[in-house]
Formats: sequence, structure tokens, C-alpha cells
Amino acid sequence: MAIKYAYHPGNVAHSGSPEVAESMIPLVKSLGIELTYLDGATSCGAGIIRQVNQRLQLTLNARIFAQAEDLGLDILTPCASTAGNLSEDLFLLKSNPILLAEINEVLMKTCGLEFSGETSVNHLLHVIVDEIGLEKIKPLVVNPIDFRVASYYGPNMQQEGFCGDDDIYDPNYMEQLIQTLGGHPVRWDSRIQSVGAPSLLSEEPTVLRQAASVLNDAKSEGAQMIVSACNLSHSVLDIYQGKASQKTGLKTNIPVIHLSEILSFAMGHYNTRYAQLRTRVLVIGD
Amino acid sequence: MSGSRSLLVLFGSQSGNAEDVASKVGKAASKYGLEATVKGMDEVTVSDLASQKRIMICCSTWGEGEQPDNAEDLWISANAEDSPLMSGVNFSVLALGDTSYELFCESGKEWDSWLEAKGGFRVNNRVDCDVDYEDLAQAWMDETLARMGAVDDSGTFQEDQVEQVKLNASGADINQSKNSSNAESSSVEISTDGDRSLLILFGSQSGNAEALAAKFAKQSSGYGLEAEVADMDGFDLSSLSGRKRVLIVCSTWGEGEQPDNAEELWIKASSASEGLLAGVNFSVLALGDTSYELFCESGKEWDKKFEELGGTRLVDRVDCDVDYDQISQEWAENALAAMAAVDGEGIFHEEMVQAIKDSMVSGSTGASGEDGFTVPELRSESISAEISIFRYDPNTSTTGKDTWVCALPGHMSILDVLRTLKSTQDGSLTFRDGPVDDPTTAISINGRHVLPGNLRLDLSAPIRNGGISINIEPLNGFEVIRDLIVEHWDLESKRESSKPWMISATRQGLNTPQGALGSMSPLVASKLHSMMDIHSYPIIHASSDATAYSDDYYGPAIIVQSWARRNDPRTAPSKKKEIEQLLDSPSGIKAETDFSSIRRQGKGSIIHDSLLDCKTSTLARDGFTGRHGKHVWWYAFTVKSSGRVNDTVLYRQVLGPIGLFSNLFSGVTARMVLGFTRTGGNMINDMLAFVAPPAGLGKMPKQFNSSVKNHHEVVAIYNEMDGRF
Repeated sequence: MAIKYAYHPGNVAHSGSPEVAESMIPLVKSLGIELTYLDGATSCGAGIIRQVNQRLQLTLNARIFAQAEDLGLDILTPCASTAGNLSEDLFLLKSNPILLAEINEVLMKTCGLEFSGETSVNHLLHVIVDEIGLEKIKPLVVNPIDFRVASYYGPNMQQEGFCGDDDIYDPNYMEQLIQTLGGHPVRWDSRIQSVGAPSLLSEEPTVLRQAASVLNDAKSEGAQMIVSACNLSHSVLDIYQGKASQKTGLKTNIPVIHLSEILSFAMGHYNTRYAQLRTRVLVIGD
Repeated sequence: MSGSRSLLVLFGSQSGNAEDVASKVGKAASKYGLEATVKGMDEVTVSDLASQKRIMICCSTWGEGEQPDNAEDLWISANAEDSPLMSGVNFSVLALGDTSYELFCESGKEWDSWLEAKGGFRVNNRVDCDVDYEDLAQAWMDETLARMGAVDDSGTFQEDQVEQVKLNASGADINQSKNSSNAESSSVEISTDGDRSLLILFGSQSGNAEALAAKFAKQSSGYGLEAEVADMDGFDLSSLSGRKRVLIVCSTWGEGEQPDNAEELWIKASSASEGLLAGVNFSVLALGDTSYELFCESGKEWDKKFEELGGTRLVDRVDCDVDYDQISQEWAENALAAMAAVDGEGIFHEEMVQAIKDSMVSGSTGASGEDGFTVPELRSESISAEISIFRYDPNTSTTGKDTWVCALPGHMSILDVLRTLKSTQDGSLTFRDGPVDDPTTAISINGRHVLPGNLRLDLSAPIRNGGISINIEPLNGFEVIRDLIVEHWDLESKRESSKPWMISATRQGLNTPQGALGSMSPLVASKLHSMMDIHSYPIIHASSDATAYSDDYYGPAIIVQSWARRNDPRTAPSKKKEIEQLLDSPSGIKAETDFSSIRRQGKGSIIHDSLLDCKTSTLARDGFTGRHGKHVWWYAFTVKSSGRVNDTVLYRQVLGPIGLFSNLFSGVTARMVLGFTRTGGNMINDMLAFVAPPAGLGKMPKQFNSSVKNHHEVVAIYNEMDGRF
């Protein structure tokens, strides 16, 4: 029987990281997850709207929660930033009844919606490990991922109460999953470090140093690729790796793909793209 | 005298080196299945030696080939005509000496020859060490212990068992591997020492309280405590401040008066300053008589006074009537278990109390004490730990990691782990040592910033496959001096340049009987207090992942301190203006690239919320100018326009033509357009975003960002919540 979730694709799945939204489609079929798209869901705010008006971001996200609640579903997202930001706002609303009442007042007035607190936010990774179970993933693997993989979690969902039963500072869900897919997880220090994605455009020099450090750490530990659980960080680590290297002089050249992609490749989807990735890793290398 | 697995480790020592080696041997013996007794040569007789199956001797040489002082008598006895034979004794000798003397290691050589001449069996050849003896001594210790382990219960050396003993030893205890340094493998022996002292203070009139104090002191050894009983009379009150565990047994005299021997101390305590007993864990047993009006009044007063002076009550006071035997014993069992759960650093581990009580109930393995009291063995569970520590040598500018795999008590603090590794494994390991609450001792464990004295090993990381794996590093965002020690000067220098001092506003106070006093609303006071209640500024500074990559950034510790000062109603308007300039500067709150990494650390959510308020305030003052203002404004605006962020617009508006041009030549645009490392997906949107940025025309193009369903609701929320967009 399919597991049902309300689906939030994450911030830039429709633009900067279209491959995430695309790969999610066959992936959830393989995993036996039935997604109901939250067609009216807005951006989670990426921690940016919050900087200018926290209540505005809270209300926008409360609207998303209310939509999922109307469907009677919990929320699933493949983006760690979205998972973290939504979880943070959900926690605030659930832990402060006065705030919730005030936000509900605006929601009712503007959208005719009310949120009572009956939904949860889940990252794809936690659904796979906690709900589906790794033992059910193994039989689905068609193309074993025979690489040394550095798993990148980022800081957003590695917070108390936001990362399932995984450890905040020493997570290993993704490492377990990579192993199940046939890969070889690399232990590295920077996997929960921020790459400064929310400030990419405003504090670029610092963000480039942060990104270069993370990329270089993965390479130094012998990783052949980085698999990211975050749409936003995934984009920064990939697109800006050349510029980051120019800025810092560090070696940063390494393939960075999203978790949903590596899963769909392992389960036999997009074989051509997987071949391209293998070529990139095995032939072109560094 | 000699058990089947016993080993006698003898030292003849002049300067303490031989004793040190013997002590190490004694500690390491258990993993070879041996029960070692370490003794000085002046503590045994030659007859004692004859009854042993295994003897290891560590002996230095004094002056021109003389026996060390503590070995002289034994050597004379050994050479007496009637000295016993040593047949059946398996032995080996480590001789310490100095090649600059003519007779090098002479004493050790003498003992080696003597034991052989007396019929002993040399299981391992003597090793003679020069002044730089550590490595040779270690090698001798490892090999000899394995060989002693292969001496069977009948005293026969089984050479074919040596390798097996070595294998068992390496599996049972500790393997050491070093990733980057060349230190040799050796074992960690965990010292279970540390402060286990307990003070039992009695105030007694008839002698009952004193007798109970003495009884509880005897019982305390069963809990692994070293009790000292003290009379309140003449007791130095100030000496309590250094104590970690104190029990008070106090009777009441007459109509609620202190007993005679407690009066003077009570007077001193009554005028003592608050905080004197901070860190003191205590409990009180009050003796009294219900036939008097003020029952157990003295004990109640001590209980209250200890709390007022900052002590921590671990077990509630118990008030006893004249028939006090059973109730006082129940109190003692609870109080002693609680005191035993206070570790060497004074931290109370509540979760250990029940386990300690259980072990006392079931403990039948210990020796019997007086009063029918059985003293069980107090055990602490060990866990397998893989400990990696960052190393940096400033002399060679080399970095690396050392990794130890070891079995350690789970309740051990990380600071104790470091101390143990330093004392037993690598004396060059460098870290800041100090009291458990010393903020400068902060380090990073798996990315979590902590004071190492306050964190138990078994709580420092998840236990997986029966073990724990921790990666200890210096705090990020600081320059490393050596290993785990970082330079705090940069932070202090920044703090100084932030001018954190108060310049007060002239305010109208409240008229009170004491005169005019300034006032503050409880809400504001509470918020300011929570912001300023920072125990370790280095930890808060390191909680930002940006501080390590931005030299100018003040960092969250200084920003939050300044923000609190800015919101303090006592601050003068001119000072507030000055603080705002700092916060709004490029080195201020704008330099923080991601608040989420701060939120997860310890007190981070309070710091995070404060920094967020600070950023909101800065953006409002800036009127959305500059990259920061534009970034936030256009992000929020594009979400209002369609419900989704439009990175086409965002890049164009924030970076401007020059920024886009820069991206074109730095490869960013190429990677985005071509999906250089990524593996598919529709790149057309990204390509258009950079090649023909349409947002510059000022209107959101629908074809690049379709609106979410019921988009009007989003607009309505914006209009309701923030009219600026």
C-alpha cells in the first residue's frame, strides 16, 4: 500500500535545480510513495523572507500547512532547506498558541484557511529510512552506485527535532542509504556545514570560501562525488565550484548531484544520465 | 599470598622513574589476564618473593652502581646466606640507568643475575635503559606482560600461548592507530582516580549525630567514596567552597537551638556570602525529638542555609525522631548513592543513582564491613570509543589527526578523556585544561561546540554498533595555536573594537524608600538577560559557519552582545546610534551568511532569534539598498508576484550587469547553462536567466515563473502583513 504525502518540491526545483523535481517523479513510484502536489504552496522563504518580516514568512508557511492539513497529509520535500525552514516555522506555531491564533486570524481573513497543527514536515531521506526502511530499498537497486560518495546534509534540517531519529551532529542516514545503494560512504567533517546558500548573492566572497572548503574537504577525504540532500546547497556546490576554486585556490572540482537523482539512477531510471555521471566520475575524474 | 593469576611488580626507585614504569605495568596487567600488585622493594621481604609465580622488577641504579635507597635492605636480605630459593618464580627485569656513569644499570643487572642464580626462570630478557627510557620500557612491558600471561596457573611458562595472550590483550582493551603521526601503538589505561572525597559534617550534643556520621563514613567506601568526618566545632567554613560532596548530620538542642559544637559555625554561616557553596552537592539528616516544639530545627536551618549559599541539594532532608535507626539508614543509602553519582568534576549524574543503588542491593561480591554491611564492587560500564583528535604542530606547520580506539567509562567527561590520553598515550597532546565551566576550554566534538568538562563521553555522540566515534577539533573561527588550543585574542580584539561598554542615558527613576532607582519592565529585563546570559563567548562565536571564512565579521557573540546593548533602555541614544552603525556595517550582521548553523548549537535558538531581529532592524534602516537589501526585497517580492522565488529576477536585480558579467567569465554561467557536472534536466530556464535576463525590464514574465494556485491568497497575505512589497 502506497505511503501518501503532500508534496513540496523545494525552493528552486522549478528553476535552478529542475533535475530534482524531474527525478522525483519516477523515484516516488519506485518507492511506493503517492504524492499529492501542493499546487498552491509558496516558497518556504529559504530563511530570507524571515529576515525582513518573520510573521510574513510564518503566515505563508502556515498557509502551506493548512493546505496539507486539509488533505489530511503530512508534507514531504526533497530539499533540506525547505525541510528545515518549514520545520522551524511549524515548531514555532505549534509551541506558541497565541502566535498560532494570531496567524490563523490572518489566514482566515486572507485565504479562508485555518491551521490546527495536524501535519508534519519530512525530508525524503527521513521518509526512506524511518518510514520505508532500508531493507526495502535494497531489492530496488538495479544500478549499484559503486563510488566513494560524500553525503552532504547541510545545516538546515540538522536541528533538534527536524532530522528524524538521526543524530544532529553525527548523522548517518545518508551514509546508510548510500551503502544500501552499493556505494561507499566517505566520512568527512563538512557534511553538516553551511555553504551560505541564503547569502550567495549578497555575501558572495564568504560564501565562495565556505563552498570551497566543503568541496575541498570531500575531495581530500577521497570522495568521487557529493550527494546533497538540499536543492539550494546542491546548486551552490555545483554551479559555483569553479568560481570558488578561483577565489580560494583550493581544488573543488567534483560532481555534485542531488539525493533524488542518485536514488533514481540506482533504481534504473535515466540510464543515459547515469552513464554520463559514471563517465564524469570514472573517465574525466578530477 | 599468591593467587593463580597474580603478578608482583616490584620497583626499586630513586627518582620515581622506576615507580612510574611499575605503575604502568600494574595498570596494563589486567588486559593480559593478570592481577597485579605494585610494591616498592622496601615493602616486601625475600620470602614474599619466593612465594610468587610471576615477578616483574623495575629497578634503577644510584650513583656508581648502587641499589636505590628503597631497595638496599631487600638486596642485603637477598644476599644473606639463608635467603630462600626462587625456583618456581618466573621473572623479568627492567634496568634503568645512565650511560654517563661507569656502571650502567648495575642494580638491575644484579637482580637479574640473582634471580637466575636462585633458580628463577627468566621469561623475558632483561632490558637496560638509558635516560631516554620510555620506548624501551614500553616494549619490555608489552612483551613481558604477554609472557607472564602465558605462565599457567601451575606456574609453568607456556611459550606457545604468548601470541594468543597478545591477541586477547589487543582485543580486550585498546588498539591504537595513528593516522598521521608515527607514535607507537600502546594501551590506554583509564585512571579511575579523580576527586571521590566526601565530607560528613556533624553537629552533635549527645553523641548520636557523631556516631551516625562515623557509621556513614564507613559505609561510604562501598560507594567508591573517600569519607572524612568533621566536627562542626572549629570547622573552617570557607573550606566548604572547594567541596563537591557534603553530608550534614545535625541534632537539635533545647528549643530549636544549634548543638554546642555547631553554634560558632552557624554564626559564621549566617553571615556568609551567597555563592560560597556553589558547586557543593549536599544533603542533611536532622535529628530531633517531636516532644519539643521546634522539631529538628537545627537540621532544617542548615538545609536552608546550604541552599541559600548556593549548594545543590541532591537528596531531600530527612527529619528523625528519637527512634532514628531505620529512617537514618534509608537516608544514608539514598544520600550516599547520590553522592557516588557525583563525578570527579562535581557533576551529578542522576541517571546513575538507581544503577548504584541496584548494585548495592545485588552486590554480594564485595567484602563484609562492620555492622553487617556488605561492600560491593562499584562498577562503571565502559564503552568502546574511537577518538580522533586534530593535531597541529606550529613548529613544522603540519596538521593531521590521531585516532585512538579504546574502552572507557561512559560517564567520563571529555576533559577527563583528554587528560587520560595525555597522561597515558601522548604527553604532547595539547588542550586547554581547567575547571569544568571554564569557557576557554571549549572545543568541537563532531561539529558540536562544548565545554569538555561538562560533557560525558557516552552523551557526546550516538552509540552505534556498541561503540562511539568522536572527532575532537579546535573551535572553528579561531586561529589554532597547537592541537586543540585556539587563540582567543582576535575575538577579544573585535569585542574591544565594538566598544561594548555602557553609556547610560539620563532617565527618570522610580521613587522608592531607598531613593530614586532606575527601573525596567520585567519582559525587557528577561529578554535582555536571556540574550546576555552567555557562558562562553568562544562557543557562540564558533557557532556561525561564516566566522571562519570572513576575517572582518564580528561574529554572533559580539553582534548579539551589541544588539542587547542597543535594546537596553538604559543605553544613551548616542550610544545606540553608535551600536547601530556597527551592526549595519559590512562587518556587522550582514556578514552572517546562514543563521541555521547557529540555531542548532546549545543556546543557539535564543542567539538565532536575536540575530534575526537584529538583521530585520538593519534591513529596515537600510531601506533595502545595497546587495543585502536588494536580495531580501527581491526575494520577497518575487514570491509575492507568483508564489515562487524567481531566480531569474533575483540574480539580475541583485548582481546587476557587472555581477552577471563576472559570473559569465568565472564559469558560473557556463556551468548553469550547460549543466557541466549535473546530469540532465531542463536548462532552458537557467540559460535564459543569464543570457537574456528579462527581469531587467521590470515585469515578471509569466512564461518563466507560473503562479501557484490561488495566487491571490498570497497577495492578500502580503498586503495584510507587509505593505512594503
